[in-house]
Amino acid sequence: MSRELYACVHAAEFPSQALLRLRPDLQAKPVAVLQGRAPLEQVCSMNRLARLKGAATGMTRLEAEALASQNEGLRLVSRSLEAEAAARAVLLECVANFSPRIEDAAKEANREAGQGTACSLVLDIAGTERLFGPPRALAERLRNALKAAGFRASIAVSANFQAARMMAVAARGITVMGTGEEATALCGLPVALLEIPADHAETLDLWGIRTLGELAALPQVDLIARLGQNASAWRNLALGAHAHAFQPIEAAFSLREFCEFETPVEEMNSLLFVGARMIDSLALRAATRAMSLACVVVDLNLEGKRTHRLMIRPALPTVDRKFLLKLLQLEIAAHPPPAAVLSLTLSAEAGQSSKVQLGLFAPQTPEPSRLDVTIARLKAIAGEDRVGSPVLEDTHRSGSFRMTGFVAENPPEEEKAVQPRMALRRLRPPLAVRVALNAGQPALFHDGRQSYKVATSFGPWRSCGCWWSMDGWDIEEWDVLAELQGAPVACLLVMDRGKNEWRLEAFYD
Amino acid sequence: MSARSATALRLEIEHAMERSFPAALTPAQRTIRETASTGIAEVNALIEGGLPVGAISEVNGPESSGRTTLVLSFLAQRTAEAKVCAWVDADDAFDPESAAANGVNLRQLLWVRCQKAGGLVRGKQAAKPWTQLDQALRATDLLLQAGGFAAIVLDLGDTAAEHARRIPLATWFRFRQAADRARTSLVVLAQAGTAQGSPAQGTNAQSSAALALQCAAMNPVIAGGTVLRGFRFEVRNERQRFTPFAVGRKKPPASVWPAASAWDSLGIKEDAAAFECARVLEMENSA
Repeated sequence: MSRELYACVHAAEFPSQALLRLRPDLQAKPVAVLQGRAPLEQVCSMNRLARLKGAATGMTRLEAEALASQNEGLRLVSRSLEAEAAARAVLLECVANFSPRIEDAAKEANREAGQGTACSLVLDIAGTERLFGPPRALAERLRNALKAAGFRASIAVSANFQAARMMAVAARGITVMGTGEEATALCGLPVALLEIPADHAETLDLWGIRTLGELAALPQVDLIARLGQNASAWRNLALGAHAHAFQPIEAAFSLREFCEFETPVEEMNSLLFVGARMIDSLALRAATRAMSLACVVVDLNLEGKRTHRLMIRPALPTVDRKFLLKLLQLEIAAHPPPAAVLSLTLSAEAGQSSKVQLGLFAPQTPEPSRLDVTIARLKAIAGEDRVGSPVLEDTHRSGSFRMTGFVAENPPEEEKAVQPRMALRRLRPPLAVRVALNAGQPALFHDGRQSYKVATSFGPWRSCGCWWSMDGWDIEEWDVLAELQGAPVACLLVMDRGKNEWRLEAFYD
Repeated sequence: MSARSATALRLEIEHAMERSFPAALTPAQRTIRETASTGIAEVNALIEGGLPVGAISEVNGPESSGRTTLVLSFLAQRTAEAKVCAWVDADDAFDPESAAANGVNLRQLLWVRCQKAGGLVRGKQAAKPWTQLDQALRATDLLLQAGGFAAIVLDLGDTAAEHARRIPLATWFRFRQAADRARTSLVVLAQAGTAQGSPAQGTNAQSSAALALQCAAMNPVIAGGTVLRGFRFEVRNERQRFTPFAVGRKKPPASVWPAASAWDSLGIKEDAAAFECARVLEMENSA
C-alpha cells in the first residue's frame, strides 16, 4: 500500500535570489529589488542583509534611496522577470532530480500576505525512500543541491500536500511532519496562511482567532453555520487534513541562462565573470541528464536596442567548463560587442556526451577539445576567415577556393601514387605589372621594383566565365620563363581583357 | 678460431691506439631515426629515407626552385597515411589547386593564412613586414603545443631572408623541443641561403635544424613548344644531423629530380623522354 508523501520547496524573496544567483559579487552586499513603472517603483524583494539594514517590502523608490544614502552598501536593482523565469527553470531542473512529479504551488504562495513573491514547488516523494533514504535525508540532499545551484529555500515534508506547502512558507530550514502530526505542527502558524477572503478574515480576527490551532479547535458545524461552506475547507487546512488532487507539471528541458546588469557593462572581464557562472550552471544541468553541451549561443543585449550574437560550437559536445569558458573568452575577443552590454543570455543545445574510441593503430590526430581552442586562438591571430581547410570551387576560374572549418578526422588511408607536379605560389593580391610585347608576346615586364627579361613565353590561354554576373572574368594566361638577376624564374602572367591590365599572378615553384 | 683471433687482433689494435682514436676499428653505433618519405625517390635517396619526424627540416631556395613542390609532395604522403597536417602561410602564397594536384588531401590540411592587417595586430604595427612573420611564428607555436599534427609547414618562402634570419635562436630551440615532444615534422620553407649563398649562413634554424636542403632551379627543357613542361630541380643536402662524417667530402651531396606540370597528363616519364630528346638535339646542334 503506497502512502502519500510530499516535499515542498519554498524559495522566498525569489526576485532577489534570481538576480543574485549569478552575481557572487553582489551576494555579500545588501540588495533591494524594485518593481513597477518609474517613478512609482516599490521594493518587492530583498536579501537578508538589506532587511537588516532596514529595507522593507512596499517601500517607495524615494524611501529606498534615502535608506541607501544612509547605508552606503545598500544596492537597488530593478526586477527582471526574464531572470526569474530562467532561475525558475533552473530550480525546476534541480528538484526534478529528486522526483519527476512536481506541482507548481507558486500561484497560491504568491498571494501570501507580506511574504513578497516566492517560488514554491511541491514534489511527490512517495516511494523514494530506497533511493534517497528517509524524508529528512532527502530534504537535506535537496537543500544542498539547491544551495549548489545558488538558491536558499525552506523545505517541509508531510503526508498532506497543503500542510507541506504552508509549513514551507512559514518555517525556515527543513521541517519534517510525521503522519498524523500535521495538526500539531501547524497549530502555531498564523491564520493568514489560509486563503481567507478579507471580510471573513476580519471576522476571525474579531473572534480572536490568530493561529491555525485556534481555528481547528472551533466546532465544524457552528463554523460552517457562521462562515459558510468554505469554512470547512479552512478548518481541514488548519488540521492538515485537506484533500488535494495533485496536478503535476511537465517542464520543457531547456538550457538557458539569463543575467541582466544594473548598469551597462563594457569590460570583457565583467562579462566573463558572469558568463563563467552561467556556463557552470548550464554544464551542471546538462551533466545531470548525462548530456553535454553541443552548442552555446550567446546573445548580448546592447545599448541602443541592438543585439549581438555569438556562437560557441565545440568539435565534440562537452561539459568541460574551463574549456567552454576559454572558447567564450576567445569568441568575445574575436567579436567584441560594439556597445555596452545590458544583459547576457546563454542558450545551449544539449548533445550526447562524446565517446571517442581511439584505435591502437590509428594515426595520431589533435585532441578535438584542444584543437578547438587552438583554432579559436589562431583565428584571433590571423583573422576569422583565414583559418581552416581549403575547398576547391567547382569553377574554371583560376585560383578559386573557399575556406571551411577544419575537422581532425581519420579517413581511410588512400593508396594513390601521385607524381610531383609543379606547384604555384600565388601573389595575393596579384601584382600589377607593365609588360613590353614583342610580336604579340611578352618580352619584358616590370613589377615596380625589378625587371624580368622574358626568355620564353607560352600562351595565351584564354579563359572567361560568369559574364552574366558582376564577378565575371575574361583573361589570357601566359606561362613565362624569365630571368631575374641572372636566375631563371617561371611565372604566370595574366592579361585581364576586361580591364586591359597585366598582372603577375603566381610563381611556379 | 680465425674469427676469435680477428676479434683479439682488433681489440689489441684499438687498445694500442686508444689515446689517439677511441674504438678505431669498431663502427660507431647509429640510432635509426624515424623519417617520413617525401614521395620523391631521388630526394629520399639523398636524405636517407625522408624528412625526419619530430625535428625541424629546412627547405630553402629561391623562386622556381621546386621547394614548394617538394614540400607538397611530402604533405601528400603524410595525408595519404590519414594524418593531419598544417600549413602556416606567412605570405598567403599557398595554392590549394597545386596542393590537390600533388595529391594532398585538403580536408586533412589546416591552412593558416597570415595577413598584414588583421587579427589582434592593428594600427601602425599592421603595416610592418614582421607582423606576418610574428603571426606565423605564434601560429606555429600554438600548433606545436596543440600536438597531433604529423607535419607543420612554416612557409616563409616569400619572406625576405633578412627578416627570417631575425627570428631568435631561442624560438627555433623551442620549436625543436615542441616538435620532438609532439612527434611532428616541422618543415620550414624559406629563402635562406639565397642571399649569401654560404651554407653556413644559409639556414634560419641553424643548429636546431636536423636537416637543411637547398633547392635550385635547373634550366627547364622546353619540349613540344606549346606548353611549359619538363621542370627539373637540383636539391643539395646542406646539413643533416646524426649522419656519419664523410671523410674527403668537399661538396654537399646533391640530387636532381623532375616534376610534371599540373596540366600535363603525360607525366614525368614523358617529360624525361622529352628531356633526353632535347639534350640529344642540343648536342647535335652544338656539334
